[in-house]
Amino acid sequence: MSIRKIVTVTEDVLTEGGREVSPAARVAVVAAIIKNPWTGQGFVENLSEGIDANASDLGALLAPRVLEALGAPAEAYGKAAIVGLNGEIEHGSGLIHTLAFGNHFRDAANATTLLPAVEKRGPAGVIFDIPLKHITDATIRSHHQSIEVRINDAPHADEIVIALAAAAQGRPQQRLAAFSTEKN
Amino acid sequence: MMNDQRFGIRKIVYYSEEILVENGLAPAVPAVRATAAAVVTNPWVDGQPTDDLSEEVVQLAPVLARKLTDVLAENLGGVEAIQAFGKAAIVGTDGEIEHGAALIHTPFFGNLVREYFEGESIICFADDRGDAGASLVVPLWHKNAAATRTHYQTITTRVSDAPRPGEIVVVLGASTGPRPHPRIGDRLTDPIVKADTLGELVS
Repeated sequence: MSIRKIVTVTEDVLTEGGREVSPAARVAVVAAIIKNPWTGQGFVENLSEGIDANASDLGALLAPRVLEALGAPAEAYGKAAIVGLNGEIEHGSGLIHTLAFGNHFRDAANATTLLPAVEKRGPAGVIFDIPLKHITDATIRSHHQSIEVRINDAPHADEIVIALAAAAQGRPQQRLAAFSTEKN
Repeated sequence: MMNDQRFGIRKIVYYSEEILVENGLAPAVPAVRATAAAVVTNPWVDGQPTDDLSEEVVQLAPVLARKLTDVLAENLGGVEAIQAFGKAAIVGTDGEIEHGAALIHTPFFGNLVREYFEGESIICFADDRGDAGASLVVPLWHKNAAATRTHYQTITTRVSDAPRPGEIVVVLGASTGPRPHPRIGDRLTDPIVKADTLGELVS
């Protein structure tokens, strides 16, 4: 696997709606910019070789880094694959939609739910939002949130950005009623 | 002071890049570049262009210098690891560029950043006015020897939802090393280049 660059982002929200958020609400993202493993091969029918060669290594690289950047137990999480213009979205999906990738994060965070994801193709500098949901119960509404990311020079046309996101809490000032209280 | 809404920080965004490969080759000297951005209320949005800005500068700029240097040092492995620095401000559309300049171009920010980062150089900068999500290229150079050409580099900063019209994003940038493959010489190896002798150097 060829990684060109690793990007780390943290956002700390100290006030929201004019009121203090205490402790500050933190969301972290770590992204690896890799060469698209299928570059120059035309339409590859069976992607499993490239997935097997990369997905687990990416999960093992990103999971501890995003939890370290978060600096607290993760309560919500998500993932992203942003494919450069010469690739297929299917390439990015292949790398992140496998247990070989996600289980590194799930195990490290003591999580059980599916990781919500964004898959997208775009030019270097494309803006993408990573959705996050609660790590053990995806219906916990307070933890539905997203974080916006942009890497100014990635992905190149033959690259893929693979990212994990983690939040230490729900939304700042979350105050919606629980899903279970809604009547049909 | 921090209970005063006018001087509160809404958000702090840290962004770093670690280059493992550039043009197919690992850097001889690996480096991490980073920015720390603080989103603050512009305390001067209702003011006049003739107003004295100094009172708010004294209150706010030192808080930003302390916070942003702390965030960078903590993430980059301490002050000793930081070799290059730069600063920036993005002013929301209800403000003047002068408001951003006030927060980054006085001793109440710059001198304190130099002191906290144990540097001596003038701090290079960029400032702009823009909408939320505007990106800005932050120049960096060596914290003790600004003319060290290997350390001329930039990093792009951006906060997705800031600055709002009445806010300012104040940014500090740092790098733990040079560009990935610096190879453009320096002042000791440069030939003497003058317009009237340029022909002798160009084959």
